[in-house]
Order: sequence, then structure tokens, then C-alpha cells
Amino acid sequence: MMANSLFEEKLNSGEFVITTEIGPPKGADISEMVQHIDLLKDKVDAINVTDHQSSVMRFPSLGGCLLVKERGGEPILQVTCRDRNRLALQADLLFAYSRGVVNVLCLTGDSVDVGDHKEAKPVFDADSIQLLRIIKTLESGTDTAGNELKGVPKFYAGASVHPEADFIEPQLIKFDKKVSAGAQFFQTQGIFDLASLRRFMQYASQFDVKILAGIIVLSSAGAARYMNRNVPGIIISQDIVDELADVEKGKGLQKGIEIAARFIKSIKEENLCHGVHIMAVGNEGIVPEIIEAANIISVPS
Amino acid sequence: MIVAEQKPLEEIMRMIAPYENVLILGCGTCMTVCNAGGEREVSFLHNALRLAQAKSEDMTHSFTESTLKRQCDPEFLEQLPERTNDVDAVLSLGCGIGVQAVAERLTDLPVLPGVNTSFMGMTKETGIWDERCAACGECRLDDTAGICPITRCTKGILNGPCAGTKNGKCEANKEMDCAWVLIYKRLERLQQLEKIRRYYPLRNFRTIPRPKRITSNTGIEAGTSDG
Amino acid sequence: MYSSSNTEKRNYPANRSEKRPDHTLIPPCQAACPLHMDIREYVDLVAQGRVMEALQSIRSGNPFPSICAYVCTRPCEEACRRSQVDKPVAIRALKRFAVEFGGDRMVQAEAETMYPDKVAIVGSGPAGLACAYYLRLLGYPVTIFEAHTEVGGMLRVGIPQYRLPREVLDTEVRRLNQIGVEIRTNTRVVSLDLLFELNYKAIFITIGAHQSLRMGIDGEDSPGVIDGATFLREVNLGLKPSLGDSVAVVGGGNVAIDAARTAARLGVKRVYILYRRSRKEMPADPTEVEQALEEGIKIRYLITPASIVRKDGQLYLTCVKMKLGKPDTGGRRQPIPIRDSETVKKVASLIIATGQAPQTPRDFGVRIGRGSTIQVDPITLTTNRSGVFAGGDAVTGPATVTEALAAGRMAANRIDDYLQHRYPMPTKQERETLTSELRPETVEMIRKIGRIEPQVLPAETRTKDFKPIELGYGWEEAINEARRCLRCGMGAEILFQDKCATCLTCLRVCPYHVPYLDDSGAVKIPPDQCQACGICVAECPAKAIVLRNPREIRHITEELDHVYKSAAETKSKPFIVGFCCQYGLFGTGTLSSLWRGAKAGVWIVPVLCIAKVETEHLLRAFEMGAEGVFIAGCGEQCARENTTLQVTQRVEKVQKVLTAIGIEPERLKIFVPGTGDIDTAEELNEVFEQISGFYLESLIKQEAKD
Repeated sequence: MMANSLFEEKLNSGEFVITTEIGPPKGADISEMVQHIDLLKDKVDAINVTDHQSSVMRFPSLGGCLLVKERGGEPILQVTCRDRNRLALQADLLFAYSRGVVNVLCLTGDSVDVGDHKEAKPVFDADSIQLLRIIKTLESGTDTAGNELKGVPKFYAGASVHPEADFIEPQLIKFDKKVSAGAQFFQTQGIFDLASLRRFMQYASQFDVKILAGIIVLSSAGAARYMNRNVPGIIISQDIVDELADVEKGKGLQKGIEIAARFIKSIKEENLCHGVHIMAVGNEGIVPEIIEAANIISVPS
Repeated sequence: MIVAEQKPLEEIMRMIAPYENVLILGCGTCMTVCNAGGEREVSFLHNALRLAQAKSEDMTHSFTESTLKRQCDPEFLEQLPERTNDVDAVLSLGCGIGVQAVAERLTDLPVLPGVNTSFMGMTKETGIWDERCAACGECRLDDTAGICPITRCTKGILNGPCAGTKNGKCEANKEMDCAWVLIYKRLERLQQLEKIRRYYPLRNFRTIPRPKRITSNTGIEAGTSDG
Repeated sequence: MYSSSNTEKRNYPANRSEKRPDHTLIPPCQAACPLHMDIREYVDLVAQGRVMEALQSIRSGNPFPSICAYVCTRPCEEACRRSQVDKPVAIRALKRFAVEFGGDRMVQAEAETMYPDKVAIVGSGPAGLACAYYLRLLGYPVTIFEAHTEVGGMLRVGIPQYRLPREVLDTEVRRLNQIGVEIRTNTRVVSLDLLFELNYKAIFITIGAHQSLRMGIDGEDSPGVIDGATFLREVNLGLKPSLGDSVAVVGGGNVAIDAARTAARLGVKRVYILYRRSRKEMPADPTEVEQALEEGIKIRYLITPASIVRKDGQLYLTCVKMKLGKPDTGGRRQPIPIRDSETVKKVASLIIATGQAPQTPRDFGVRIGRGSTIQVDPITLTTNRSGVFAGGDAVTGPATVTEALAAGRMAANRIDDYLQHRYPMPTKQERETLTSELRPETVEMIRKIGRIEPQVLPAETRTKDFKPIELGYGWEEAINEARRCLRCGMGAEILFQDKCATCLTCLRVCPYHVPYLDDSGAVKIPPDQCQACGICVAECPAKAIVLRNPREIRHITEELDHVYKSAAETKSKPFIVGFCCQYGLFGTGTLSSLWRGAKAGVWIVPVLCIAKVETEHLLRAFEMGAEGVFIAGCGEQCARENTTLQVTQRVEKVQKVLTAIGIEPERLKIFVPGTGDIDTAEELNEVFEQISGFYLESLIKQEAKD
């Protein structure tokens, strides 16, 4: 039985799917976020709302997803295990389902130490794979303690994968475990090298899951270097950094957009995977430009 | 072994401020080995406190020194009362266990902690100690090739690695090895990779109710001590 | 403020004046010395520049150190473990340096007579002189009877003056006279009964071994043939026997070498030594043999004269070549004459020096044994006659001066026992002797500093007279040579085994890899390997390790107390305390300019290696009111490894605490001279200026507050 998810339908239709993400504000003023939602809801097939990305405290993903739903978009809820124990995780999932938020991206979550509340207690009662299983458990009609549920939810669950990891074997094992745990779609970490994506897809295509290649928009060589150093899981090649460094000041973002569009175009033309997930960190406004530059028109349902 | 670090001098001076005669009490076992509270550290702290007094010209405190072989055994604690006759407070350089044991024994004296007990760990080389065990109560080192994911993985996850590992190091501390990369490599060496392919379910945090009690190997009775 | 009555709990006995227990091991040098002198102690004192104290130690163990300084055969150097690293410590030369430096100081000037019992000593050789010295100090009236005109026995008539200068011996005899020893020369004792009749209560026979042994060959009595002992005696008594232009000396012992070298100095152009065995078997001191060869003396091995014929004023020696056969009972290979190997040598004179024996008058009534020696009980030194003791060459046959001195001392104690009716107690060995070899890992880490050979006069010129050929050390040479001593057996021990947590710190910080884990899992510090650097003592977190050395005159804490009192009296400000390595301060040390040019207000606390300075000492110095504290090691000269590293870590730890208390951490400095490009004196000046700066600042702040 399928969940009531437009996103799932679109992916199953075989069309090239585009998703993107927006970061909520640090505070109660959600006006900018609403602007971004309005800007993007018709241009992409689904919108992720990040959950304390990089362990920086923000307005929650669940709240952002409700707003997306209100404004007529298709939300993807990001759930990290860093901040909630299994009771809270299950509760949030029940709540999300009750409000029609059924697309869930299950993440372990960045370490508390990289964020701005370094002294907070890290929870990690579960990891991403265990979270996927929690979802499966709820869908089977009980909670994780074995008690029967009054009202059984259904989700379209996904996870992340890291095709460009420097040590790929454990990541592939994790990918397997996630698929076995019930993940149906994957959004990858930023792709900067198509060869590794190809290699990964050779392996991943044997599974009946949908893969969306992650595309990160860089604004400058400095930003690239910063991400390399500080953001977990991102590995940007030297060629790209050099390309960004070559342009004149102020033109960095343009270059970033160009690079991103190039990648998207190649992926679509080679039919490498099922779509892309555009990550324009802090620059949500340029996403439409990227999509146009990649000559893709998406038909929101 | 239990590893601790002596508290900063300013904090110790603040703690002892209200008291006149302070006994600085060392411990001759773990605290000696990790250079936090053995006889030498007791003596050093004593000298430092005296010097601080002299500098500030506030001579309210007088100090005595003593070191017990261990602070966590009742027989050694028996030696205490005779050493605390004119004492107003005991500054214990024992680990958190020692401080509490001393406090239980000396019901009428304030017992102050002189060290920050940090972890259970091993000596890598002289002067360097690394955490190794979280006392989780359900040791799973057979599944992880003898490398503990609870202490050595920052997130303590059981189905690792997370996506943050880069160059075999942890995202949170670039000098620290990613425990799961270590576990993978070791399992590979032992030809037991199927162990990392398994799904490990949610951890049973119920094994650490506080305070735990073990009664001579007959089992763990959770939450029934009289602490 | 700091009060020296603040006694803190210490590991040592609570009462400071109590002697610390001596757990040291007897080092091989002391064990080898016939007098069992505390060589380790005096060498170390010389190394620190405390030469007068070294001399005091020497004189407490040796009655005539000036004599030993010239003629002792140095069994200590043979046993010295430094030779396992490079060459043995030049102990005799160091003793000579101390003795010459001290002159007449530290000499026993007076002795009281406490008993009426008179003691007679027959013979004024080293054994007799030593016995007289000790008996006199014990309080007995002593008379030495000497048959010859001159006092000294073999010292006077046997040993040539280029080895033992006349003045040295005269001085010692004069000192004996000063303490009241009566010496009657030209008085030959023929009967012991007479002595007893003269009311002497005990007699010590020490007539030496002056009778030369005959070879038993034809022509031995010809003119021109003289025995070695007689020859040397004549020369030492001022006669100049004419030997002609060539001399052959038969023999291979020290007497033969002495005779040959004396002949060379008398102007004989060609001097030969004929020895019937090979060089390896020669009993003479190898250094003497070397020097003889340098002086142009030719040694012919495996040859001996079989008969002598005098013709036309020359001696014709028929010599037979020898080959070596099986070893005899003494272990030396027997010489076997080779048939038909006769050659004839022509020389002007022949000196026969093939051995000596004592010549005891039968009237003494004492039992004589092998080699004409007097038989005595080895423990009590008594002969078969009650009240009659014997010792020295007369008992042992020809032996060394030092052995004779030891015999004299022992006899004095035994005579004292006898006269006081005490049963002689065999000396109880309370301390173990150290015998083992250093492990290679330890030897590797010991700094290699080559032996400074005492200078010797050049061979061409020295044969022109009888001046002593070996020159003494200068100050720098002595200090540097003394620093090479490994101080065997004085190292660290885990005194408080119950405190030891087996944390293994000592094992890890030891630069010489000495502590080890034994089978039962306990840490052991083998005393025969420990180099006594003191690093583990200062680093042990349980304060369970101490150095065995009981002798350190002032513990660092006591030294600080002393400085505090002195500084309080002089009231000179600012007052800075410096912990300096003693080896660096004295002699040629890199810190010697610091010692000599000590500024006002700077108080030096000498330490035996800065590795012994503990963090508590540094804190105490500040508590005493020091404006600044510095530590100065001897830098590259340090014979120990890793000391600077360890001490720097301690300094950093204290600096952290100083910051927390509000004292500028720059007031505490460590520097190691010789490692930078800056000159020591300049570095020190900078330190002083900086600390003076702080001091002035604090004065100003104080004024502002008031």
C-alpha cells in the first residue's frame, strides 16, 4: 500500500525528479522561510526542511513541513536522531502523519560538537538505520516496545548515502542495511565527481530504490574550502575549487550556479539516477535560476 | 583505570574559602597513576595553596596532608578519623567514588572534590590517557572487533559509520580516528565482516539505572542500592 | 610569610639530625682497595669542587694518602666499572690532586695518650708506619725501631725517587713525629724478649722482605754483579754505584723495572732487561713497563743467564733462550730452556732482581713458613708468641704498599683489642658489594667523556734526573675527570614498597632503561645499574622512591631553609634563588662564571643535578619571598640524558600555578647554557634585569596602594 505521497508518485512515474531544501530561521520570524516556500513550491517536486542542520539550533523541520503543506507544496521531513529519544521520535512521526507529512528522510544527525550548542546532551538513542526500522515498526501497528497503536501511520521513508566517501566500503554496507531497513528513496551527499556517481549507481541500481543526486551550489572558492574543512561528509575536488578561484570577485556565485547546472544536465542526459536534490545553502533564492540553467522544466503536480 | 584531572587552582581556592583547617587527602591507586591525586600531587597542591595564601596575605587556612592507599575501601577509610581531629573540611583528591566514600565515612565534615573524574581509560604513554570504556553494562566488543563504539564513536551509534567520517577521522574531532572505520578494518583483518553487515537494534539503556549495584557475581540488581 | 618551622611530612626520618639509613652498595673500587677507602665519596666531592671535604674523606680512610697518590698500584682502577663505558676513572691522580691541594690542612695534628701500654713496632716500612699512626690515634705510646739510618722501609730504599719523591715521605714521617710517635733509627732489634723486658706490652714485626733471592748460577758472586734490592737501596741512600756503560737486569717484577730505570738515570747508556718468560707474564705494572720502554730500555723476553764470567772488567753472560711450557701451580707458564740456544752477552754490570724474601732473626722465636715469611693467624695477625703480631711483606712476601698500609691498620686494631682484652669481632658486612656488569642498554645511554690522562714528562728528558715523572692534575682536569665516575651503588631504590602503585612512571622516564618489572609484577630498580640521576625520584607520583645516598650534606629543602635565613639577615633585595647544577658550577662547568661572579641578591642552591629539583622546591622558593627563581643545568656537559626535558615540564607545571595565583610566570625560568647562541653570563643578566623590573613594578604598585 502506498502512502499518500505525491513525491512517491512522481518518482514512480519515471520522470526526472527535482527536490531542494530550505533551512528554517534561527528564531520565531518565519517570513523569509515562507517567501522561499512560495518561490519554490511550484518549481520543484518536493522540498526538504532541514532539522538543526550542522547542529545549529533552528526552527524545527516539522514546523517547516507544516508550512510547506499549508502553502501548497510537497514537504519532506528530515528527522535526526541527535536530539530526540525513541519516545519523542515516535511521537513526532505520529504527529507528522496526522498532518499529512509522510515523506521522511531518516538521518543520524551531525555531532553536537560541530554546532553552536556544544555543551548540549547528545541523545543518539537511535541511529538512522534504527530509525528506519522504527518507522517500519510503527507501520506494522505497534510502537517499539511492542504495544498496539490506535491508528497506524504509513510513510514514504528515505535516507542519505555518500557515494563520494573516501573509504567507500563501509558506506555501501550502510546503504545495504538502510535498504533492508525499509528506505525507499535516497538523497546523496553533494556530488562533485560524476565517475564516482556512475560507479555507485552501478551498485545501487540492483536495488528497487530511488536515488536523487545531491547538488551543492558553491558561492566561492573560499566557501568550497570552508565546506571541505568543516562540513561533515562534503568532499569538493581541487578542480572545482580552482574553477571557482579563477573567476573575478563577485562572480563566484554565478560560477557556482554554472557548475551546478552542468552537473544536473549531465546527470539527466546520461540518465544516471532518478533525479537531483539541489542544496543551495543560504541561497535558496537562486534555485530557480539553476533549474533554468540546466534546461529542465519540472511539472509540479 | 579511572582517569581524572586536578581541578584548576582557582576553583579549589574558591571551594576551600569558607574553611580554616583543610586536610588534603590523596589516593594511592588510580589517582596516583594518572598524576591527579597521588602523594606527590597532594604535596604539590599543598605547596601551591600555601604560596597562594602568602601572596594574597590572607592566612586563614592551614593545611595537613595525608594519602590513603585507596579511598574506596572501608578498611582504608578507617584510618581517616584520627587524621581529621582538628580539621574543618577534607579536600579529597580521590576520584568521584573516593570523595563520596570519604563523605559517607565522615558524616560531620564537608568533603570537597579536588579532581574532575573524567573517564575509565588506559595509559597510551606517560602523561597521555585515553577513554576506553563507558561501563554500558552490555559489552559488545565481540561484534566490533574489540573496539568500543560507545566510547570511541562520538555519537555512540551501533550501525556506523555515519556520513561525517573523512580520511578515517571523526567529523567532530579531526584528530580522532573514526571508530567505525577502525572497526571495519579490524573485522576485515579478522575476516569477520559479516558482523558489521548485521543490523544492531536499539540499545538497552535500562542497564544503566542509577545507582547500580553488583552483588558478588550473582547478577545486577538495577536501582536497588541505598545510595 | 614562610616560616622554617613549617615542617611538612617527609619521607625521611622526622628528626632532621638523624642520620639517614645507608642503603648504598659497596662499589667495586672500594671492595678492591686493600684499605677499603670510600673512593666513590671522595671522587664525587672532587667532582663538585669540594676538594677539602674530599680530602677529609680521604684522610679518614688512609693514613698516608700522599704516598699512595704516587705509588699505589691502583686495584681500584682495575675494578672501576667506568671501563665498561670507556676507560676507568683516574682515581690515583684524583687522590693526588686532593692531597696536594690540601697541603697540611685536614691532617691529624695531635693525639692524646690514653693508655699506659707501650707498643713496639719493628721496622718502619709502610705497615709499621700505618700501625704506629693508628695506634697513636687510639691513644697508645708507640715506638718504632728501625735498623737503618733512614725511615720508611721499602718506601725509602726500594722505590726510586722518580716514583716517590723524598719530600713526600719526609713530610709523613714528620707528621708522625708531631703526633708523638717515637722513631728510633739505627736500632736493630735482635731479640723480642728484650723488648718485653723494656715493658713493651705488644710488638708488631714488620721487617719487610729485603733479602734478595739468589739465582744459583756460576759467577753470581763476581764483582759487578749486584742484587736489585741492594742496588736500589744504595742509590736511594745517595750513593752512585758505577755501572759502566751497559747494564743487564734479570727479572720481570717492579724491582727489575725500577732497577733498570734507575740505571738509565745514572747515565748508563745501554740498559737491558732479561726476562725468562714473555711480556704477558711479567708481574710488573704495565704502565711502568711502557714507560721503561719509552725511556730506551730494551727488554729481551724468554731469555735468562745461565752462567757469568768476568774478564777484563766486563761480564760475559751465557744466556739461554726459553720457551713456555705448561702452567705451574701459580698459573703462570713454566719457562723451559731450549737446548743449544746459548748466546753470550757482554755487559759492564749485572743486576739480579728475581725476588726478595724476609729475613727473620731466629731469636725472634716466631714460626716461619713458605718463602721465609712469618706465619700469622689471618684474623688476629698474631704469631705463635703471645703479644707478638706481624704484618706486611714479612708475612705476605713482596706485595704492594697499600696492602702493607691495610695490614698496619688491621694490626693496630687487633693490638688494641688485645691490650683491652677484647675478643676481636670479625667485621660484619652490613652492606652488599656490587659486582655485576652494566647492561648494554644502560652503557649506551651513558655520556662518553674520555679519560684525562695525567701528564707525564717526555721520555727523552726525564731520564736525566730523578724528578717525579707524573705531573699532577690542574683544577679543571681534576673536576672533569672526577665527573666521569658512575657513582655505582648509590642510585634510587623503591623504599616504600607499599606506596608503589606500579604506575610504571619510573620505568618510562629512566633514560638508562634501568627499572624493570619482575615476574611477580613488581617494579625493581637494580642498584648496580642505576646511574643516580634522580629523575625517577622526582617524578614518582607516589613519592615512593628515594636515593640511597645518605651522605648528601644538605637536602635541597634544608639548603633552601639556609638560604632563607641568610637572605633575611642581609636584607638585600630583590632576592633571587637559583638552583644550579653543582657540576656546572665548579671546575670547568658552564656555570662557573655564575658561581664566581655571584651578584648581590642572588642565592645559589647547588644541586647534584637539576633533575632532583622538584616542583615543591620551586614553590617553596617563592613562598620564602624570592622575587625570581631560575634553574640552570650544566647543559651539554650533563652526563645524564633527558634532565632538561623533565625539568622543563616541571617548570611549566609550576608556571601554570603561578599564573593562577597571580604571580608572573616569567619569574620562573629554566635555562640550559651552551645550547643557544647566547653566552651564559648574558642570559643570566637578562634574567636578573627582568626580575628586577618585576620587583620595581611591585614596589610601585605597593606604594600606590598605601
